[in-house]
Order: sequence, then C-alpha cells, then structure tokens
Amino acid sequence: MATLDHNDKKVIGKRVVRNEDPRLLTGQAQYVDDVDLPGMAHAAMFRSEYAHARILSLDVSKARAYPGVLAVFTADDMGADCYPGPPLVSPPPTVKDVVFNSRRQVPLVKEKVRHAGEVIAVVVAETRYIAEDAADLIDIEYEPLPVVADIEQALEADSPLVHDDLDSNLAAQLIQTKGDYEAARKSADVLIRRRFTIERGTAAAMENRGIVAQWDAKSESLTVWDTTQAPIPIRNGLAARLGLSESKVRVIAPFIGGGFGPKIMMFYSEEMLVPWLAIKLNRPVKWIEDRRENFYATTQERGQVHDVEMAFTRDGKILGIKDDFIHDTGAYDPYGLTTPLNTQSHVMGGYDIKNFTSEFKVAFTNKTIVTPMRGAGRPHGVYVIERMMDIAAKELGIDRVEIRRRNLIQPDAFPYEHGIIDQAFAPLIFDSGNYQAALDETLKAIGYEKFVKEEQPRYRAEGRRVGIGVLPFIETTGVGPYEGARVTVEANGKIAVATGVGTQGQGHFTSFAQIVAEQVGVDVTDVRITTGDSAHFNWGTGTFASRGAVVAGNAMHAAAVMVRKKIFKLASKVLNAPEEELELENGVVRVADIPQSSISLKDLAVLANPLRGAVEPGTEPGLEATAYYGPQYGPTAFGVHAMIAEIDPETMMIKILRYVVTEDCGTILNPLILEGQVHGGVALGLGNAYYEKLHFDENAQLLNASFMDYLLVGSTEMPRIDVRHLETRSPLNELGTKGAGEAGAIPVPALFAQTMEDALYDYNFEIRETPLNPNRLFEIVREEKTT
Amino acid sequence: MKLSGEYVFDGPREEVWKLVRDPEVLMKCMPGTQTVNKISDSEFTGEVTVRIGPFAGVFTGRVIISDEIPPQSCTLTVEGTGKIGFLKGVGAIEMTELEGQKTLMKYSGEAQIGGKVASVGQRLFDTVSKTMMKQGLDTLNGFLKSNAA
Repeated sequence: MATLDHNDKKVIGKRVVRNEDPRLLTGQAQYVDDVDLPGMAHAAMFRSEYAHARILSLDVSKARAYPGVLAVFTADDMGADCYPGPPLVSPPPTVKDVVFNSRRQVPLVKEKVRHAGEVIAVVVAETRYIAEDAADLIDIEYEPLPVVADIEQALEADSPLVHDDLDSNLAAQLIQTKGDYEAARKSADVLIRRRFTIERGTAAAMENRGIVAQWDAKSESLTVWDTTQAPIPIRNGLAARLGLSESKVRVIAPFIGGGFGPKIMMFYSEEMLVPWLAIKLNRPVKWIEDRRENFYATTQERGQVHDVEMAFTRDGKILGIKDDFIHDTGAYDPYGLTTPLNTQSHVMGGYDIKNFTSEFKVAFTNKTIVTPMRGAGRPHGVYVIERMMDIAAKELGIDRVEIRRRNLIQPDAFPYEHGIIDQAFAPLIFDSGNYQAALDETLKAIGYEKFVKEEQPRYRAEGRRVGIGVLPFIETTGVGPYEGARVTVEANGKIAVATGVGTQGQGHFTSFAQIVAEQVGVDVTDVRITTGDSAHFNWGTGTFASRGAVVAGNAMHAAAVMVRKKIFKLASKVLNAPEEELELENGVVRVADIPQSSISLKDLAVLANPLRGAVEPGTEPGLEATAYYGPQYGPTAFGVHAMIAEIDPETMMIKILRYVVTEDCGTILNPLILEGQVHGGVALGLGNAYYEKLHFDENAQLLNASFMDYLLVGSTEMPRIDVRHLETRSPLNELGTKGAGEAGAIPVPALFAQTMEDALYDYNFEIRETPLNPNRLFEIVREEKTT
Repeated sequence: MKLSGEYVFDGPREEVWKLVRDPEVLMKCMPGTQTVNKISDSEFTGEVTVRIGPFAGVFTGRVIISDEIPPQSCTLTVEGTGKIGFLKGVGAIEMTELEGQKTLMKYSGEAQIGGKVASVGQRLFDTVSKTMMKQGLDTLNGFLKSNAA
C-alpha cells in the first residue's frame, strides 16, 4: 500500500462508516415512490410502438370514458403548453466551423414519433392500474416511416430524416486539432489504422425514474419530488415553464437508487408533464417508471464508430493520432456535445502526444436519446487509444507495458496543456499526475513479472488460457460551473449542512460530513447533510461529471472554514483568550493550557443568536456561513487497472482470477466510499465489456428490454478487487480533490480486450468492438482465424 | 425476423390448396384464431389471440393473398396490431407434388415486429411462431386426412 499522508488531518481520509447506512438498511430512507399524498392521482404514459412513424389519427375517447379516469391529455389538449424542453447544455462551444443543430424532446408528440417509447398521451386516474388499462383503450393509427437505425447510414445522403426540417441527420460536427498531425505522419516509421465500434448499453439504475407533484392552489406553490440528479436546475426550469416564481416551486430529490447520469435531463417528457398535470387537475399526481419504460424512455449511451490512425517511431514513441468518429445522439440532442467532447478529451489518454486531430459528427437516429452515462464518452476514448497501443506494441515488437511507459506524461510535465477544449468548453489541462507511479504500483500488486515469467508459461503448458492485462486511464472530473454549501452550528450543538447537489448513493452524507467535521471539530455523525432540496439550498447545478467531491466538497470546505473562524472569534470573546490559544475538538472550544476554560458549540450557538442585546454592526447572527466554489477547469484523476483472467476457448466463458485497481483521485475523503465507487464502476465496466448490450433490430426496435435478456453483471461475475490508493493532490482546489465517480468503468472494456488477446495467445485475432459476449468473441476468434 | 420451413401433407396438392384457401378451415387451424372475415377472394381480416412469454393479447389483422398460381404458390402479406405490439410480414408459399399422393409445402417469410412483443418477447418469438406454425399445419393435415377418409 502506498503511503497516505494524513498526519495533518483528523477526519478527512479516514475509513469512516457511512452516516446514511442505518436509514438505508432499515428502510427509513425516503424515495420518490414512498411519497403518498391524500387524493393522489396516478399517471400512465401512452407511448409509441414505432421508432419512426407519422401519427395519422389518435382517439382517446374510450380511455376518457373509462371509470376511474380523471383526464387524458394529448398534445392537442396541452395546446401552447406543449413545447420542447430547454437545451440542457448550451450554447455550442465557440470552436471554428462548429455545427450544432439543437432538437429537443416535447412533453407529448403531436405529429411524428422519432423513437419507440416517445410519449403520445398521458392518462391520469385514481390508480395506476386504471390508468394503464385506460391507456390500452387509446386508438391510434400510424403511418410507419423508413427508420434510421444505424449511425453510419444515418449520415448517408439518401437516409430518411429524423427531423424533416433539417437537410440531413447531422446533429453536430466539430474538429479539434493540436500540433500538426499531417507533418507527424510524414515523419513516422509506422502508421497504424483501425476502425472501432462501440455500442449502446443502459445505466440500469436499481430505482427507475419517478415524479410526484403537488399543487397548493391557496399558496400557489408547487412541490415536486423527482428522481433527478439536478434538483435546482429542474426547479428553475419548471418555474419558467409554468410561469411561477422560483420561490414558489420546491424540488426535492430525496434518496435515489442510482443515477449514473441518465437522471439528469432538462427535461424528460414526464418531468414536464406531471407537474403540469398536478396544477391542471389540482390534485397530487404520481408517475413511477416501470422497467420496460426505463429501457425505452430513459436516456442511454455509448454508440460510436471510430476511424483512427496513429503515427509511431520505430521505438514506439507516439508522433500523433488522428481520430474521426461518429457519435449517436438518438432522436434528440438536449445534452449538447458533452459526450463526444469527453471522448476527444480522452483519446490521447495519459500520453504525451504532440500532434492530434479529431473530427466528430453527431448523428440523429430513431433511437432513445443519448446523454452521459457513467463514463460519458471517456470509455470510448480510452478504448480507442489503449487498443491502438496494444496493436502498436504487437506490430513494433515492444512489450505492451514498455510502450506505454515510453509515452506516459512525465510527473514534471504538469500542468499539461492540450490546447483543445473539454466537455465544459474549458481548456483541456491535466492539472497534476504521477502516471508512472500508478503503473508501477499496479504491476507490483498484480505480480506482473512473476505472472509473465513463471505462472503464465506453467498455465500454457497445462493447456490453460490465462491472460494478463494492464493499462492506464485518465478521467477528467470536477468541472464547473459551481456548487455551494451552507454550514450552520445549531443550538443543539449539531452541524446542519445544505447543498444543492442531489445524492444517488455516493455517500455524500458521510464524505461531506467529514469535510465539515474536519473544520468544525465535531464527530462525523453530528454533521447532518441535506442534499437536493431546493427549499434548503437555493443554488447549484447538480451531480454529474464526477464533480461532487471536487465542486460541492470544496464549497463545503470553504463554508466550514468560515464557520470555524466565527466560532473562534466568538469563543475568544466569551473565554477572554486570544484566538491563537484556542482549540476546537469534540464540539468544545477550550483554551489550550486551561482545559476548564471552555465552551461547547451548543452554548456558543445560543450566544451567537441572542434574544436580547444587539448584534454588533457589520456582523451577522449565528455561527453560519455559505460559500461557493467554481473551478476554471476541472482536475484530472488517473489510475491503472490490471486483470488476470482465464477463458475457455470452446465456450468463451471467463473467470477473473485477479483484479487490481490503482486509483489516484487526489486527496481521499474516505477510502471506504472511494473503494465502493471503484467497485461499482468496475461492475459497469465489465458489463460494457462482456455482458451489457442493447440489441436494436433494423427498425430500431429494442429487442432486449428486460432483465431476462439484458445481462447485468451479478455478484457471481464480479471478481474480488484489490484497490490501491495514491494521492497526487490537485493544485486547483483547497482540498486537493479530484473526482472518482466514473473512474472504475472507464478502462475496463479496453483492459478486457487486452486480457482476452493475451489469454487466447495461440489464436490470431484482434478485438475492435465492445461490448462483446461469449458468442461474439467466439465469432471474432473464428472469423479471423479463417481469413 | 425470418421464418422458414417445410411440411409434408398426407394428401394431393389440389386438396391441400383448397383447404388453405378456405377461411373456415384456416380459422380452425390457426391456434388462437377468434374470427375470420372474408373481404374478398384474396383478402381476409380477423382476430387472433397470441401469447408470447409474459404477454398475451388480441391481434387484429389482415391477410392479403397475391401472386397466386393455384395450386402451386402464392404470397401472403400479413399485418396485425394489438395492445401488445404490431406485426408486419410477407411470406411465400410453394407447394410441390410428391410421390404417393403427398404434398410438400415450403414457406419462407420475413416479419417485422414491434412494441411489447418485440422488446420482451423477441427471444421467444422464434420458438412460439414455429410452434404455432407446426400446430396449424398438423391440424390442417388432420382435416386433409379426415376428408380423404
């Protein structure tokens, strides 16, 4: 284990058990579906079965007449209120010659459906059963249209159009360059060209989406419980849509059973509909997504096709890379260019590459909308560069670890400026890193040398195919614009903290509490965190881009530091001692050398908010502070994954024998929580490598919209993961944190491919696609063998 | 989705053809058929109850027979919609005489399915359609034999 320098910290970095677990484990945590209000009505969505079709007629009269139905709305019934949601990320970046055609989803489709699962009508009834039964009575007639199912065909001249008002299905196009790739390729000893295909999966959060909205006509105020990762923007957007003051709209994102990205949208159709219905009907309305709806209607990710060329010297030094790719955005593009920009940011990996050019085209297709999903374009970039490194190693006859070592950015090269923009349109700068150290740590932990020299030859002699894979990755994290936090010492001596970000299982109630406890000198369990409730904190953007620990964390830290100052200032007065002589520990301020001269935070909080007397001019009552943090650009975390796995070449069934992760995300807040994040990420990564794939047919009909057919990684497939920690603090923020939320998932498909090629050493094949499955891998191995 | 296969009937080709073109017979043969209405000699509508995996529901459909060369071959265009999804397909039937008063039927077609049946039942569709086909043709063969008897 690498050394962790926590000598100066009391709480941060400690393996503290989670504050939220007792509530979660005893069923006391409130989820959206737990909200049960008097008079609550239930909504069911009537969705399109076709991926692309014109609606010729729609008759909801039988549904309306069904006993127990309160209302049925179509786009016509919604009238002027039926307009598209706002762009979630805007405007497009100011890169030369950028193309961006913004097309956003509507609450209810009127004329033409653009993917299977789009909402055409909504039924509200006394129960969900009645609503579903009534929705079955809706008569609709479609004119099926030719379907855009393939991202390459989508951009061909004769392709049907997803959006008839556009000349093509091109949603966006953007070129970024660095150095001079053309010159680099001319001076190269070796050029390597490949094509890579990455296909769609779904986040498959344990909890599906859900919304409950309650309208109080007397106070003209709206309360919405929403499984969103971005409660404050949803509040602001809903207020704007509904013509209400922001102060009259409260959005609560309570406990959420997994977000992974798709739970941040502006807006989902149902998110626009349910609050509107509650006001229109003056009754609370609930809609909870079912699993099949989740497969169609919740956003997805990962469809890309890459054409790559890399220029190398004979000794394996990278001279440059050219990566042109098509990105599938589905039927609409509300989330702008975040995902393909992330791919561009990661396609150079952690390597020192001077010459780079990359053009991406974003294509509209008749498939579910694409928005970031844990990894968010990063796994694609890492897959491309790491596959290319493996191929180059073979072609140049250089050891695959060695070729990487020769190209990694060196520790003294930071901050490393790429000269292109990242997902937040900020300059892509790697703030700090020590990539070699992470590589060495991992090689040591997995026993690389011993395995290659002793174990593997022994396995091979026994006829067993056991392979090893090792590769590095980077993760850009913690982007702006900002988050905030308010820290209050309450009169009971406990610390109340509120922030605008939502929580979906990341352990915020503990890691944030540690940050505050560190400054305010209380036990972690005495810090009560409130996340994702607009009534508690008014400002914020949301939980995404591995940014909680960085952006909200540093806001928390700043507010806690301010409160600490207030505590010392007041205590100094009360105890009649200079601030430098005071100590703050266990909820008590004492004079260092006179332990009996002390005051508890509880008493101090009461004194700070007096009922008589006067608050001094220029001061504020209470021991409270609010602070914000917004980075100019985000810190970049990094790590190395390694795997030893055995494969049976007849069944292609695998067994992972060892799995090591070295994660360096700067200052560690809580290693326990960090390891949990890494474990979860690896589970998704393995899914993206060998299990999880959404199968669409040529008509863009999803063929495996259930967990009977969509294969998730279960506990039996998960290896034991040995997580190693390194801490290269980010110089960009006070805490020195970097994000880690997506890290685990990012390198796994590339690592898996490398490991399989090594295991099946006696077959001549190359993996250029992900996700694989046993069947597909068998085909690839056989195809290449025969050609 | 592609569907193809062959079946040997225990009867002469003309007899088989006659039965295939009789809506009353078809209704009895097609498992789950509720009603068949003859619109014209080459167009029928009807309702069929289908169960695929977790879904069961009524499909309202239309069958159009074209390119008919009695008693040899024809093309069937099938369209069905229901609360559990939709189906569109085109299939070709070809019959050849075999020795011993037997008839070989070859069928091949392509179907497009959507909605719930596609998303959840796809995995079962192949087996279900083959089973239904076999059941139907067995019944038809039964009629053929009882007519001959």
